[in-house]
Order: sequence, then C-alpha cells, then structure tokens
Amino acid sequence: MAPSKKRHASDQTCVIPGGFTVLPLQFSADSAAQHDLYVKEHKVRAATGSHRPLDRTLFVLNVPPYCSQATVRELFSRFGGVQSVELRDHPGSFQESGPELTEFFKPAEKKGFKVGYVVFQSASSLAAAKSHPHDVPLVVCTEGRPVRTGVQKWIQQYAESFIQPEELQRMVDSFLEDYDKRKVEAEERQKKEAEQQEEDDEGWVKVTRGHNGAKARPHSEAANRRTLQKEIRKKKRKELINFYTWQHKNTQKEHIAELRKKFEEDKQRIALLRAQRKFRPY
Amino acid sequence: MKKKATVAEEPVEMAPSEEEEEEEDSEAPVKAKRSKPDEEVVYQPVKLSRSDLYRPPTAEELSQLKETESLFHCSLLKMQMEELLREVALSEHRRQQIDSFTQTVTELLQAVPDSPEVEVSDLSWLSGAVKIPFLLMPKVTKGKFHMAPPASVDLIGSYPLGTCTKPRIVVDLAVTIPADVLHPKDILNQRYPRKRALYLAGLAQYLASSSDIGAMRYSCLHGNRLRPVLLLTPPDSSSFTVRVHACPPPGFFKPSRFHPQRNNIRTEWYTGLQTSQSDSSEPPTPHYNSSVLGDLLPRAHLQFLSAVSSQCSAFAKGVALLKVWLRQRELDQGTGCFNGFLASMLLAYLLTTHRISNTMTAYQLLRNSLNFLASADLTVNGISLAKDPDSTAPPLAEFHSAFQVVFVDPSGHLNMCADMTACTYKQLQHEASVSMQFWDNPSVDGFHSLLMTPKPMIRTSDHVFQLCELVKLQSSCKKLNLLSELMDHSGNYVHAALPFILSLLQQGLGQRVHLLTHSLSPDPEWSVESEAPKHKAQPPLAFGLLLRQELAASVLERGPPADSPKAAEFRQLWGSRSELRRFQDSAITEAVLWDGESMCQKRLVPKQIVTHLLRLHADIPESCVRYVGAMVDDVIKTGSEVPSTGEEVSLLVVQAYDDLSRKLWKLEGLPLSITAVQGAHPALRYTQVFPPQPLKMDYSFFDKEKTSRSLVPKEGKPCPTYITPITMICHMEGSGKWPHDRLAIRHIRAAFHINLGELLKKQHNYTCRPCPTHLDVWKDGLAFRIQVAYHREPQVLRESVNAEGLLVVRDNEEAQALEMATIHKPLLTSTLHGLQQEHPCFGSVCRLVKRWLGAQLFSADITEDTADLLVASLFLQPAPFTSPGSPQVGFLRFLHLLSSFDWRNNPLIVNLNNQLTATDYTEIKNDFMASRESLPVMFIATPKDKKLSMWTKRAPSVQMLQRAVMVAAESLKILERQLMDGSQTQDVRVVMRPPLDAYDVLIHLNPKQVPLLGQAVDCPAVTFSRGVKTGSVAQSGGALPVIDYNPVTLYLAELREAFGDLALFSCDPYGGTVIAVLWKPKAFVSMPFKTSQVSARSVEVTGEEVNTVPNVEAILEDFQVMGKGLVKSVEARTEKWMV
Repeated sequence: MAPSKKRHASDQTCVIPGGFTVLPLQFSADSAAQHDLYVKEHKVRAATGSHRPLDRTLFVLNVPPYCSQATVRELFSRFGGVQSVELRDHPGSFQESGPELTEFFKPAEKKGFKVGYVVFQSASSLAAAKSHPHDVPLVVCTEGRPVRTGVQKWIQQYAESFIQPEELQRMVDSFLEDYDKRKVEAEERQKKEAEQQEEDDEGWVKVTRGHNGAKARPHSEAANRRTLQKEIRKKKRKELINFYTWQHKNTQKEHIAELRKKFEEDKQRIALLRAQRKFRPY
Repeated sequence: MKKKATVAEEPVEMAPSEEEEEEEDSEAPVKAKRSKPDEEVVYQPVKLSRSDLYRPPTAEELSQLKETESLFHCSLLKMQMEELLREVALSEHRRQQIDSFTQTVTELLQAVPDSPEVEVSDLSWLSGAVKIPFLLMPKVTKGKFHMAPPASVDLIGSYPLGTCTKPRIVVDLAVTIPADVLHPKDILNQRYPRKRALYLAGLAQYLASSSDIGAMRYSCLHGNRLRPVLLLTPPDSSSFTVRVHACPPPGFFKPSRFHPQRNNIRTEWYTGLQTSQSDSSEPPTPHYNSSVLGDLLPRAHLQFLSAVSSQCSAFAKGVALLKVWLRQRELDQGTGCFNGFLASMLLAYLLTTHRISNTMTAYQLLRNSLNFLASADLTVNGISLAKDPDSTAPPLAEFHSAFQVVFVDPSGHLNMCADMTACTYKQLQHEASVSMQFWDNPSVDGFHSLLMTPKPMIRTSDHVFQLCELVKLQSSCKKLNLLSELMDHSGNYVHAALPFILSLLQQGLGQRVHLLTHSLSPDPEWSVESEAPKHKAQPPLAFGLLLRQELAASVLERGPPADSPKAAEFRQLWGSRSELRRFQDSAITEAVLWDGESMCQKRLVPKQIVTHLLRLHADIPESCVRYVGAMVDDVIKTGSEVPSTGEEVSLLVVQAYDDLSRKLWKLEGLPLSITAVQGAHPALRYTQVFPPQPLKMDYSFFDKEKTSRSLVPKEGKPCPTYITPITMICHMEGSGKWPHDRLAIRHIRAAFHINLGELLKKQHNYTCRPCPTHLDVWKDGLAFRIQVAYHREPQVLRESVNAEGLLVVRDNEEAQALEMATIHKPLLTSTLHGLQQEHPCFGSVCRLVKRWLGAQLFSADITEDTADLLVASLFLQPAPFTSPGSPQVGFLRFLHLLSSFDWRNNPLIVNLNNQLTATDYTEIKNDFMASRESLPVMFIATPKDKKLSMWTKRAPSVQMLQRAVMVAAESLKILERQLMDGSQTQDVRVVMRPPLDAYDVLIHLNPKQVPLLGQAVDCPAVTFSRGVKTGSVAQSGGALPVIDYNPVTLYLAELREAFGDLALFSCDPYGGTVIAVLWKPKAFVSMPFKTSQVSARSVEVTGEEVNTVPNVEAILEDFQVMGKGLVKSVEARTEKWMV
C-alpha cells in the first residue's frame, strides 16, 4: 500500500513518475477501501480522428467493473462538462470497422477492469482533473446516483434482455437492407476499377483469358497453394529417382538413418518406462 | 553368425542400467525410491546429430536394426514382461540373506531337546507364554506326545524351485516329526493334527529363547485350521518370512487311508454322544483326509516340479508371471485360492501332457496356461497329474463326488484343489477368458491390463454384499443340516456353510448374474503368545455379483406353470414370496414379484433376492447382510414419493425433445427447410447430473415484463428456481440466398429465430422468446433453447481478405467455438446417447462422476463433456474389467482411471462407435509423442479428433489436473474403505465434501439467492419457496418463466472476468454456497507500471521506479460490492498469505 505514504500530505495532487495522477475512487461513502484511477492527458504520436481531441481527452486507467459509461461521465462531470466517454478493455486506438450494430447483435462485453477515454467540453476540465487532490476520493454510488450491483443488477439485466420480436425483426430488416445496398455499391466499385484497369497509360490493353472478371491469377490462398503444388509435382515427375549411383546410395543412407532413429526412440521409450518404475506390479 | 553377434552385444547395452538398479536396491529402501518424483523423466523426440545418423554402419548394427524394426511392435509386450520379471525376482543379496537365515534356523531346530512323554491333551509341559496353535474342539483326544529333535529339516515349496517372487517372500521349511512321536493310528480323530500343532508349539517355545529370530507368529496354511504353521522372521528385517511346516516322515501313513470316501473322524468322538452307528455308515471326511494327506507329500511334489522345471528353461519365469496375474486378481491367497503352488502344478500338467513345449518362452507359457484355464472346466472334468496311479488311488469320479474342483497330484491320491469352491474356479475361468479376449486387441494396452492393474472385488463386481456376523453361520449350518460337513471341516462353520450358501444364491439369482464370486478368507495370523483366534474372528465374507444388464433389474421372476412338477421346487426355493399369477399370454405360472418402481429401486432387486433367500434358507437375518450396491447413488437421488436417481425424468426430457424436433420438422411456412435437428445438451444423452424436472410456475411469485407477459424475478424474494435451457441445434438448408458475410449471417439467423417462434406459437401454441442468438421455447414444463445453424458459417468466419486482396483462410477462436457448439457437441450428444442405449447405467455413472467433480470444485476444469468422454472410455475399453454394471462400480473405476492414468506420457483414446483401427491407434500415439509439449495436459483422442483433443484444450491446467489426480486417489481410497468396512462411522458422502482449508478466501453465499440449493451434497437446513407450484404440467401456452437465471453463475462469471488473472474461483455448481478463491502463485509479485497491467492494482513509488501490486483490500471489498444481495460474508484467511 504505497500510496498511503503520500496520502498524509493533504490537499496535494499525487503524481507518480510517468505522468499519471492518482485519483482515489471508492464505491460508496462508507467504503473502507479504495481503488486508484490513474489519469493522464491522452497523447498519441499520430493524431487520429476527431473523436479523441488531444487537448481535451483524459486517459483513465483501472476503471472498476461496476462503473458503466454513464457512471464515469457522472464521476468526471465534477471537473467540467463531459462530451463523451469511451470504455475499452485495453488501451489502444479506436477502431470500429463495419456497419453500426444494435446492442443486441454486438458480441458480449467483458466485465473486467476497463480503460477509459473521457473527452471534456473544455480543456480546462482536463487540468482540473489532473490536479484533483489525492485525499478526496471519487464516490461511485451516492444517494442521488445509485449504482446497481449484484442481484439488483442481474434482475435488471434479465428484464432488459427482452426484446420484442417485431422490434428485432425491424433491426434485422434494416440491417439487411443496408447490407444489400453496400453489396451493390461494392460491386459497382469493383466494376469501375476493372474498367479503369483495362487501358493503361500508353493505351495498351491487357488481354486476359475469359471475360467479365474471370482472373488468371489465383485470388485465394488455397488456390495459390494448389498452383504451387501443381508446379512441384510437375518438377518431380521429370526428376529421375534412384538412377545415378549416388542417388541410390543416398536413399540407402537415409533408410539406415531412419532405422537408427527408430531404434533410439524405442530404446528411450523402454528406458523411460523403466525409469518411471512402470513395471512394478504392486 | 550375425545373430550371435547381436545377442552378444545386447548385454553390453543393458549392463549399465542393471548395475545402476542393483546399486539403488542395496542403498535405499524400496519406499523411498517410489516416492522419488519422476516428473523430470519425460519422453522427448530423439535428436541425433547428423554425424551420428549418417556414419557408415557395421554389419552387426545393420542386422540389429533390422531385427528391432521387424520385431518391435509384436515384441513390446515381451520386453515389458521381461522388465516386470526383473522387478519381482529376488535379488542375489536377498537370496544370501534367506540362505543364511534358513541355515541358522535349521541348526537351531536340530538342537531341540527331548521332553518326557505326556498325554496329548496334557498341555502342562508347555511352560512359558507360548500357546498351542489349535482350536481344541472337542477338548480331548487319545494319544501320547513328547518333543524330540526333528528327523530332518528341508527347504520345500517355491524357494528351492526358484519360483519365489516379491513381494511377500515366503520360504517354506519342512520339519519332519520323528517317527517315534507319531503312531500310525494318529490319523483318526484329529490326533495327528493336534500332535503337529503341539510339535510346532514345542519348536516355538525352544526358538523363543534364541536371539537370532525376530517376532514369531502362527498362521495356518490356506486358512485351514488343521494345518498350523510357524512364521519366523529375522530380527532385523521383515522383508521375508520363513514358514515352518511340521510333517510326518514320508510314507508314514498309508495313502489309501485318505480315500475321499473314507471316514477318519468318528461322529461319536466329535459329538461326544453315544451313537449306535457302525463304522461303515459314518459320513466320509474328504476335506479332513486331504488336509492330512497334504502334509505327507510336499517333498514328492518338490521333486516332481524340479524334474519338470529342469527341462523347461522358462518354467520359473512362467510361474512368476502367472503368480503376478493371479495376485492382481486377488486369487492367490486365502482359503481355496489358486496359489503359486497350483500355478506351478498347472504348468507342469500342461508340460507333461505336451500342451506346451519345453522350448517356449515365459510369454507363451502364460498365454497357454490362461488359454487352458479359460477353456477347461475342472468342476466337471477334473485333471490328474498321476501317470500310472497305483491300484489304491481313487478314480476321478470319486474325487468329483467329494470335491467341487478336481486337480489330482502326481501321487494320484490328493486333490490339490480340495478347498476351492466352484465359484472361485468359475471366477478364475472368467478372468482367464477376459484376459485372452483383450490380449490380442491392439487397442488395449495388453501388458498393463494383464499384469499391472489390480482388480479388487469392489471395483470388479457390480454389486457387492458382505455377511457381517459370521457367528450367524453356525445357525445356518444347523438349519441346512450340515453336521457331517462341520465334522469334515473340523468345526469351521464358515467353510462348511459357504458352498451351500453359494449354490443357494446361484440358484436364486440365476440368469441375473454372469458370475457370483466370493472373497477368500485370508490366512489368520496371530502371535505365538495368544490363543488361536475363533472362527468368527474372520473378517466378513464378501460376495460379488457381476450382473447381466438386461435381466438384473427385472422385477418379475417367472416360474414354471402351476401344474408342472417343477412348481413345487420353485415354491420351495422362494417360500411365501411365490404366488400364482396369470400373464398376458394367458399362462398361469408360479411367479415372484419384487418391489421396485423407479430404476434405482429396480437396480436393487438382487438385494431383495439375496436377503430373502438367506433369511428363508440359512437363517441369516437381514441385519447381517451389508449390501454395497448403490450406496453412492444417494447423492444424485431426487424425488419425494418415489426415490429416483433421475433415469425416469431423463427419459421424460428426451421424449419432450423428440416431440419438439418432430414438430420442428413438420413446420410449414419456413423459407428454407430444416436439414437436421440435433440435441446438444447433457440432458439429452442422459448425463445431466440433475435432469430438468417439468415445472409449473406460481405467477404471483414473479414480476411481469410488460409487453410479452414474461416472468421476471422479483427483488426481495428468494431467487426463483433455476430452469436449465436444453440446447438443441437446428441446421438450415444451404442455399445461395445465405449471405457470405458474418454479420449478415448473424442477422439472418435472428430472423429465423423469429420465424420459428411465430410458427411454433401459431401451430402449436408454445410460448416462445426469440433472441438474436437463440429461441427459447417453453414446452411441457421444460425450456428448450433452439439455435439455428448454417453449415458454412465457420468457413465464413475463417475467411478474410488481406491487404493484397488475397483471400486468406485462418483458423480463429470464434470459428472454433461455433463449430464446437453446432457440430461437435451435437455429435457427441448423439454418440453418447447411443452408448446409453447399449449400457443402461452409462448415464448414471456420468452423473455420479460429475456430481463428484462438482462437489470437489473441479467443474470448471474437467468440463461436462470431458467427464462424459472419460466415462465413455470406461465402457468402451473396460479391460481388464468388464463394462460397469452399476453406477457405483463405474464411479469407482472412474476415480481409478483419473488417478492412475499416466496423463503425461499417454493419450487416452476413446474409441467411440468403434471407428478407430489399429493403425489409427499407432498414428495417434506417434503424433502425441512427437508434439507432447504443445498438447493439452489431459489428452483425449476420439475418432473425430485425433490430433488436438479439443475437449480438453482450455482446461484442466497442469496444476489443476495434478490436484484432481490427487483428490481422486484419496477419494478412491476412502470410498473403498467406507464401502468394504461396515464399522466406518462416517457416511459415503465424505468423498463429496471438499477440503476448503487449502483456499485463501472463502465467499459465503446467501442460501436464499442460490437457486439450486436443494441439490447440495448435504441437505440444506432451510428451504425456500422458489415460485413452483405442484400439480400437472401444462403442455403448451402459459407465460414464459425465468429461464437460465442463476445469480451464482452470473457472479462467478463477473469475478473471473475482473480478477481471473489474479485468482482462481471455484464453486460447486450443484447447490454450493461457498465460492473458494485461491490466489495465483504469481499474483502478489510486484510488477513495473504498465498501462496494460494496472487492473485492480495500486502503485508503489521508489524514486523513479514505479511498481504495482494488487490492491487486495479494494478487491475484497469488490467481492462484496459485485455480489450485493448474494454474498453473505467474505472470509479472508489472511493467516495464509501476506499482503
């Protein structure tokens, strides 16, 4: 419990080497033990999308499992208006591929400790959070803002897991509509690309076998391998086996080597059994 | 030429290892060696350097290599046997010890002083503490006795013959009583046996003063009280025992006096009553005769056997192997056993009759003798070693009329199997034929099953029962009118009554059993200073039943028609239980109807038969019969009115499932047709520990969800009863309409769930609840969870397009999980369902096993599917046993398998549906050896999964498997003791109570919120109402109940997700109210601060270095917070670990 060393200094911010500020957090006002949140301004070398602006985003480590996105937003709103909160299993870049999914179709989330990215409305809130004194813990569950855990939460989860068939059907329909649209788009794009390829800079047109997207080059790994194997087989067929004397000798040598290896293996097997006293009947 | 060279080379190869062993032998005691951890010895693929592999070969090496190549597979068994023989053979060092000790004893014995002549019944000359090793009943017999130095002292038996083996080395020493002590008439009325006992007592008295001899004890030969022996051990070690026999001088008695029809004990003397019977009408005393005659012949037998063995070089080794085989089957000791002497005689018989040749190896000797035992029936066609018996020798038929098993010695007068019961011989025969069956089976580890696996009765027989108070057999002797037998066995009522009880039981059990076996009462041993123990001091007699599955549980015993002459016999056997009954085929016959409604009661019909017959015919009250058939089954017993172990409910579930799948097939209006409906739940293969019961819900107990009228658990009330969703997979036809995209497939499946739900509601009025991942159907008071599957989905999940636009197929976890759920689990379920049809108690064994795994907190490590596979292997490869015929014996064998299997060096191959061939076996083994390190610790191969062991990929870990092995071994030990020892005070449930002191934190749960509380090992003190009504269950309709809501599993999942890298959480899934937490060994090591590894940790700053350690206080509080309402208390055993 090292931070306790620092705790005696009241009204002080606890900053550990590495630039993280330690924010204590406890579940309710009468909790005896505290977790520590480690916060720091979000910093990355390559500035990416706009959803994590560098000057306004707070990087939060060690968010306990009972803190939902809403709870974290509430917790940090004491430092100023919060624009968005993002909780993730691991620190890392934001990547959302594919179409938007409704909550029911998302894979189940892990319920462990999380990493948070809190985006404030103004940059000053970031500084406020970072200079939060160490001896004033953040409280998760207060009277005004109860957080459900345990049986209450599970019952709520169970009740919320119900979804009306009609609604579900609507979700499915809208997704599939979207999917079809995307598919058509992708096809068109491909067609366009193919058309573009047809005539190169100097006006040459590459002639390929077949037409309309039939490709001469294999387009999947399996097909790739098949072609390679075909080549190898072709080569092998042309090769002469046991034709020259040296080849014959080599095969014999290989055979003896094989036998030796097997003999050693058998010996070892028996030796192993003996070493383990596997022959003692009682 | 070449061959010789090889032979010459081999010893050179072997020599170093041999020397090593000898050294070990002499240095460390045996036990220390065994406890030495042999973990380091692991098979590793051989790596030979290039130069080693490719150096030019010599001629010898070439031939040697070729030989190994061609012989290895067939001769592996032979090599293993050679190794085994080395283990049991006596070392040179031991031989020297024995020789010097017998030398000392012989010299001491030669110097026994004379004593004055006294009456036999006068024991006053025996001063000191030494007692006579004989039950003097009746007290007095005529004759004079005095001590005199022995006429000769010789070594006899296995030691001089070279067939003596470890362990329990016994060296027989024959001391010839001088002729002047005896009288030719001494064979009458136990005079000779008493004199012999007196002579032994005299020897003991003399030897007691010598310091060269350690503790002396008496025993008797094969439990025969007429043949006491004196056991001597050297004072310093007890690694061997010298057994002193007292014998008459050779030829002292005329063998013809011991004809099996002759009487040598007079009724008048025995009963003490004056009778008017003449000599000729006295009953014959064959057992008494053979026990006296047996003393006369040991030297002749030794000569005979030495002559035979000198001609056959492998004789001693063959006998040693046979002895090991017999010992593993508990046939080599006790009254009426098939001991090493008989084994030698059997081999001698086979050699002299040229059934085996002198040049055969030990391997062939063993094989041929087992083959002979399996085929020859000595209870009907006895065999004789006598080449040309003299005219006085009785013919075989006379032997058969007096004894149950006949094997006559070279003299032609003695039946060497006099004490053996027919049941014991049948057992021997059964064992031999079972051994012959698996000997050549390439899929069985023949050596291991044949010679290395012990077969104690409790693990061999399906049902076992014990006769506890043997005194009661005295009254059975009276009831059965066995006075002459008692006389013949000199008052040993146990041995006198046993054959009659056995035949009674055999008759009563009839077709229900394959085999009836009984324990051989062990040779009693007692100190020379205490009186000979009474007959009743024997341990209880145990009987084993090997049940015939299809008939054993039938409640009806149909007898002959009422008017047939056999009816009287039937009535006589069954007494008042027999009644006239009219059957559907209009026959009126005698019949006995036993009680039994549920399967678990029916399984105990043999118990009813046994107790009824013993009470009726042998006067043995029910309280004396301790029936150990289904003692363990209690832990899976449910049901209130009719106790049941769940077979009936399982059947109900399967019927409901069949009905639902039929209805699914017939649904009209689906856009694609259904190609298969498969069950994927243990309940559908009869292996769910507590199969789901059809339920009726009490609506007032629940909250309602507004729109769908489904029930929702109410806060403040006890957790509602847990309803298991019974998973089934519904495969949809493949079609071009299926999209080729993972998300789109997921949505289409959801659409199918909705569609199926609507149709089921419309056409059959089932309450349904479609979800994106599944469809819940409420039917017959059971919840079914239907998952739609598309066979190409795993393939789609594996495909991805890489940066260059190339389509790559990569295996991933998601695809594997999907294949597991939609392909492998249903397949396993249907295969095991088939196995259940073949072996009716398969399901019950699985359920017992899983109950035990759950109770011992291994559910998370050895999963349900793994456990089912392990049990399946017991049924598919029972060697050296037969398939388990009762849940209990299956459970015991599972514990034995788990604890004794060499998981590290062997794959467990489960040959489901018999699909694997011999080549598959070698292939699996070779693959396993080649990549052992990367494979799961518990490797289970099945026909569909030869290389990966997918069921055990995730769990168990090395540590957990080790622990499971340890706990299984301990449980087996305790359970077998509990079952075989009636005096144990604890109940059998003790093996289901896990030791919790090994854990660091215990989270106690509030029983109110544990829905499966009623399934706990020990019945809970309080029960809660859980929203269930009694009454008949509606087939369809009704509100959807709360399905798959179990706070304990939800809590466990959250704990594991949050703290899984710090601790292990385990809990009995069947009503456990404690979650046991074990910190991982590396949990408390401080780590440098890293953004990816700060979960639940606090920092420690020393200068510029920042380290993190787990924030234990906060974690313990989190346990409370996360399980609010469920957790009663968190007990941190801080004395075990320091923060």
